[in-house]
Amino acid sequence: MSDSATLPIIAVKDLHYIYDPQSAAPIQALQGIGLDVYPGEYLVILGHNGSGKSTLARHLNALLTPTQGEVRVKGLDTRMPGNTLSIRRAVGMVFQVPDNQIVASVVEEDVAFGPENLGVPEAELHERVDWALGVVGMLDYRRREPQRLSAGQKQRVAIAGVMAMKPEVLVLDEATSMLDPEGQHDVLAAVRTLNGNGVTVVAITHFMHEAIEGSRVLVMEAGRIVMEGSPREVFSRVEELRSLQLDVPQTTELSSLLNQRDPAFPRDLLTVDEVANEVQAQVGALSFRRKGEATLTPAPAHCTRDRTTVSLGGEGDAILTPTLPHHARVGDAFIELNELHHTYLRGTPLEVTALHGVSLEVHRGEVVGIIGRTGSGKSTVVQHLNGLIRPRHAGQVCVGGQDLSDPAVDIRSLRQKVGLVFQYPEQQLFERLVGDDIAFGPKKLGMARPERRERVRWAMEMVGLDFEGFRDRYTFSLSGGEMRKVAVAGVLALRPEVLVLDESTSGLDPRSRKDLLGRLAAMHREQGLTLVFVSPSMEDVATLVDRIYVMDQGRVVMSGTAREVFSQAGRLRELGLGVPQVTEVAQELMARGIRVQRIPLTVAEGAEELWRALSS
Amino acid sequence: MESFELLRYVTIGQYLPGDSVVHRLDPRTKISVFLFLTLAVTFTRSYTGGAILLAVTLALALLAHTPMRYVFSGLKPAMPFIVLLLVLQLLFYSNAYTPYGMASRTLFQWGWIHITNGSVQLVVVSTMRFVELLFLTSLLTNTTTMTDLTHGIEAMLRPFSRIGLPAHELSLVATIALRFLPLLGEQLEIIMKAQASRGARIAPRGRLQFVTTAQQVAVLIVPLFIDAFRRAEDLILAMQARCYVGGRGRTSYVRLRFARMDTVAYAAGLLFSAGMLVFRNQFPL
Repeated sequence: MSDSATLPIIAVKDLHYIYDPQSAAPIQALQGIGLDVYPGEYLVILGHNGSGKSTLARHLNALLTPTQGEVRVKGLDTRMPGNTLSIRRAVGMVFQVPDNQIVASVVEEDVAFGPENLGVPEAELHERVDWALGVVGMLDYRRREPQRLSAGQKQRVAIAGVMAMKPEVLVLDEATSMLDPEGQHDVLAAVRTLNGNGVTVVAITHFMHEAIEGSRVLVMEAGRIVMEGSPREVFSRVEELRSLQLDVPQTTELSSLLNQRDPAFPRDLLTVDEVANEVQAQVGALSFRRKGEATLTPAPAHCTRDRTTVSLGGEGDAILTPTLPHHARVGDAFIELNELHHTYLRGTPLEVTALHGVSLEVHRGEVVGIIGRTGSGKSTVVQHLNGLIRPRHAGQVCVGGQDLSDPAVDIRSLRQKVGLVFQYPEQQLFERLVGDDIAFGPKKLGMARPERRERVRWAMEMVGLDFEGFRDRYTFSLSGGEMRKVAVAGVLALRPEVLVLDESTSGLDPRSRKDLLGRLAAMHREQGLTLVFVSPSMEDVATLVDRIYVMDQGRVVMSGTAREVFSQAGRLRELGLGVPQVTEVAQELMARGIRVQRIPLTVAEGAEELWRALSS
Repeated sequence: MESFELLRYVTIGQYLPGDSVVHRLDPRTKISVFLFLTLAVTFTRSYTGGAILLAVTLALALLAHTPMRYVFSGLKPAMPFIVLLLVLQLLFYSNAYTPYGMASRTLFQWGWIHITNGSVQLVVVSTMRFVELLFLTSLLTNTTTMTDLTHGIEAMLRPFSRIGLPAHELSLVATIALRFLPLLGEQLEIIMKAQASRGARIAPRGRLQFVTTAQQVAVLIVPLFIDAFRRAEDLILAMQARCYVGGRGRTSYVRLRFARMDTVAYAAGLLFSAGMLVFRNQFPL
């Protein structure tokens, strides 16, 4: 017998789970899971939506109980109702949607909710709340309303609420999937601290950079565990991950591409630093070997930076006033915002100024990105583009040559020209049948039935839904990814000239996200559709966008081509924004004095650049 | 012009942060005094009584730094109804209403229009009563967070749990409603915007008239209900995971404290209101 230190805290044996076993179509969610969770470890479970990972998580604290097999927490069988409370006290759980797990309208009162349920005496309640808020770094917000917090802060409150119950295991069920990069970063830091204090962590995610945090990684597919090992072991199996259509961390992909060219280069590097170290070591070794050839010493970093500044055009003023792209003629902007200001609830004690003079433009056939953290004003900008908010205070919005402050503007024809897809657009579907929902817009435009049908068919084809196969399906029986496509098709059916996507890929798993982005890119290429992407991170679309505007606190603070903007990785990070890892690698190397000719935006470009650096 | 700012037209019930004497009172004091004064306002029918109460409520509103323009702006949508009501009272209560402190007298008669000093008094006193109630409600809700109100009500109901009143459950329901109503409001705003972006004609005329036809209702209500149910399911899971099994054996983090200022306010409110009620028939006019 092994000693108590190595006994698993949670033991899962041959776990099967079936949703709706009585129904005509029971769903086999878990098919024989065997898993031990050990005290103090940081276990990451990866997998697509529908792979069964959330179902597994809910077995760990007896929210679900096995159809077949067994789950024991600290030796307690989850199927015995008498054990439920002890199990939930030992295994705390944080869920995906930050808002839906906060009960009270004051932060500290919500954190106290769990311990109150446990009957913790009043004096200790205060100690526990103080401690839990301190651990997640939210003490300053204790008297705030959760509603006024960012998603990342809310999620940290939710973690504090669980930690105040002093559990031994913390389960995070996609707890970061709805957060912006800054929020993810803060939540991960809190989790890391807790794990450092001895709390066992089980994190379910589809973000690869989170999986790197773990001490062990499991990959699930179709209710089974298909891969298991340390992050390094799992991620070095790039081909296998790809066949599961999972993302691979850009760093690993980069090192595996370099490994293909030079087998001496390790293929399983996980972090930006590891790649940078390796490249630096190899370059260093080379220059050491060729010592004496003075010309080959690495160029000082400022050379490259100078070049970047030049390409930004006109020094510092380029940062405040957006430069026109080289291919665009002055005055032919399809959408033009000029010194736009906006204040919500103007004239009431609750007024908030969201925009302080924003100027930007979108030209026909262009792909433009607008990035900024939550609350930077990007959604307010977006709602001006199709007249949901009209310029009333100061500034100008012109779309297709029309000034939107003119009350005579035909708003409905404007909304037909500028299609707007909101965040989580599937939450706005309302018709029972897919076809009817997509036809809503064309119908409102007063189109005849046959024409409407053609519109619907076209829109469905564009997003990759088979017209005959899907038009009579029940909207609410579709998967999340399919519903998202229906929602996008519903806007496309208006045949807009510009499609504005406000964080429209967030919350999707990697497979659905890639699919949707691929379709949008094809529409841009083949149909000349103008696209505006709005998001807190541009990792997905870095290669797609011609130009990027970076917003912060109601202002445009940076603008330029993707390469120009991403070359200022430090600035972006200050603004709480994400930079592709491969760009970070290049930045890091430049900071260490290794010459990188151009800032890579994709892994392929990155491999090319690093190879050049290595072989020079 | 379309407007999606739903919050703009809700001024009653909106907490406005501040640090006045009224803000710092215990919610139980505020609720009790609010009830006392409301009773006094309701039973006063004299000019003198109305004027005294108007002066007192105005003074209290000023004490609480209530922004007058903001409070009255909340009335705007309801103004036509209020005016109509007052006109109807003026015209049709002439014979039914005996004036307080005066002999009934006809002031004006022309065809069926018949105005007495009684109907004039009724209109003037109801208008005063209306403004007084508006001040009182704003006074309570603009200075007290909804959470504090819930705690106050729970504490005041707790003695009744012995006779089977589910005080804890009622307060939890209120807490959750307070937490989720604004979220549903936000969601409704997003849904309205999204459907408008797809060509739906939403909020074209009038401030409170968002929808006119059954289909327009469905376009908003179906997604809103789906959202509400999804949130409810999530919340149930989250509460279960945090070991919620009902009110039994729960401890309480929040403890309300009754300070000296509360005693003063409570006593003053009680005495003043009782006086107004007891002497309501002794005022000269």
